[in-house]
Amino acid sequence: MMGKRAVPHAPVAPKARGPIPAEAGIGLRFRHHQEVLESRPAVAWFEVHTENYFGGGAAPACLEAVRREYPVSLHGVGLSLGSADGVDRVHLERVRGVIERVDPGLVSEHLSWSAVGGAYLGDLLPLPMTEEALEVVCRHVDQAQSGLDRRILVENPSTYLQFRHSTIPEWEFLAALARRTGCGILCDVNNIYVSAANHGWDALTYLDALPAAAIGEIHLAGHTVRELEGGRTLRIDDHGSRVAPQVWALYAEALARFGPVPTLIEWDTDVPALEVLQQEAAHAAASLQASAGRYADAA
Amino acid sequence: MPPHRCKHPRGAMPTLLELQQAMRHGLTSGDDAAACAYVISDGLSASQRLDVYRNGFLSRLTSALRLSYPAVHRLVGAEFFEGAARLYIADHPPRSAYLDEYGGDFAEFLAHFSPAASLAYLPDVARLEWAVSCAAHAPEAEPLDPARLMELDEAQRARVRFVPHPSVALLQAGSPADLIRRSVLEQDDAALAAIDPGAGPVWLLVERRASGTQVERLNQAEWRFTVALCAGLALHEVLDATYGTEAGAVLARHLAAGRFTAIRLDDHHDIEGELST
Repeated sequence: MMGKRAVPHAPVAPKARGPIPAEAGIGLRFRHHQEVLESRPAVAWFEVHTENYFGGGAAPACLEAVRREYPVSLHGVGLSLGSADGVDRVHLERVRGVIERVDPGLVSEHLSWSAVGGAYLGDLLPLPMTEEALEVVCRHVDQAQSGLDRRILVENPSTYLQFRHSTIPEWEFLAALARRTGCGILCDVNNIYVSAANHGWDALTYLDALPAAAIGEIHLAGHTVRELEGGRTLRIDDHGSRVAPQVWALYAEALARFGPVPTLIEWDTDVPALEVLQQEAAHAAASLQASAGRYADAA
Repeated sequence: MPPHRCKHPRGAMPTLLELQQAMRHGLTSGDDAAACAYVISDGLSASQRLDVYRNGFLSRLTSALRLSYPAVHRLVGAEFFEGAARLYIADHPPRSAYLDEYGGDFAEFLAHFSPAASLAYLPDVARLEWAVSCAAHAPEAEPLDPARLMELDEAQRARVRFVPHPSVALLQAGSPADLIRRSVLEQDDAALAAIDPGAGPVWLLVERRASGTQVERLNQAEWRFTVALCAGLALHEVLDATYGTEAGAVLARHLAAGRFTAIRLDDHHDIEGELST
């Protein structure tokens, strides 16, 4: 059982309470902490990796200060919703601790697994798309949502392999997960593009299968293309460059289906100047604005 | 081809647990034969596909170690560090996804890592860096108000035990690990060259203050006195032992620096709260 809710670490009195707006936000990394606090850039909202704020010290203190000025979303990478041997209760409790400290607008995790037999394998590993895996993930999303006292969003991963015994297309798996657990979907458009290219899927079929009402957030990021023998390529989601033109195009398709959704620019490898992230966010904001107009016209 | 509800073509269907155990074995040992049997090749071998994840596993955990051990990284160079880290990671995968807690026994690994044997001080520097890293991420805790001690009568004061701040760590090193670490991080080659690695031992106190993490050198008597206090011995037990130091002055310094968070009058009862009301 989860413990009783603890008293928050420090009083948080954010100006910007409430949900994450349907605008373009930026992934906040340590490199930009000080700059954000000093210059208060015009950014609609920030998202951080939950696990970077489990402890005490300078980083969580900085996040609390940022939170007083901006909406903040928590994006987890370590809950391992797809682990056959269960969700780590201690980890879940730590996520809860950060939630109490930060009062985030959204909390998200991944459709993947990272731990087995008490060992954490440091990556978002692919799940076989089977009925068994769907049941496991549903059970763990239920546990997470009841343990955290809130709805979570689950993100589609980038994948580089498929299992022989998979029987369910990933888009159907994700839609079924949302239907059965009531969780939301974090639609990572770059990941759809990368996985579709790697496995020969149709990215628009993927988007069409997702329930629009469940889409709580969109992620955009850069990826690299690895040339293989025989002229083949493998796309790797490394969050280390600008969003690719094809991904911007797919983003427009996503907005046409889902309407304006909070959209995040992620950049984790060779993190550039904040200004570059703001340029990418401005690009997303323009698409959001165009989509809002079209969406209103259609309604 | 997409897995449109197709029947898998060959081999027994693994349970999710069997599949994950095979993947774990493949990622940590490099022997991915079992995992490969479950993966579709499709223009790229199953092993090459698993390599993408193996690289992610190793590079993410190597980065975590590099963040905790920046001076060790600089001392041995990137290539050597990566090689050592890969061996360490394969044998010691993290127990949890909270990577700030990962790598606590890397110093122990380095102490038995024969290619690093010529750098006898390396495990000391690693132990110090681990203490600094733990201090940086230690939970927040309000320091004890020294005035609380004045609210106790003399008999109570003799029995009092101190609860150390979660960031405080005490370590003894055979080499001047503090000086080596500092000159390496400051990239001060002249200072590093001037250090006699045999000029030990040193007795160190590591902590996090408002300004950041700090490493302070104590003398042996002060260090042993502080270790006894932090271990929760009653004040009279600590004072009775002959540490050969100005115990009162050292205690006052620790109190002023906020190195304790509470006082107790016996093994079980934390009285910090009740005295504050």
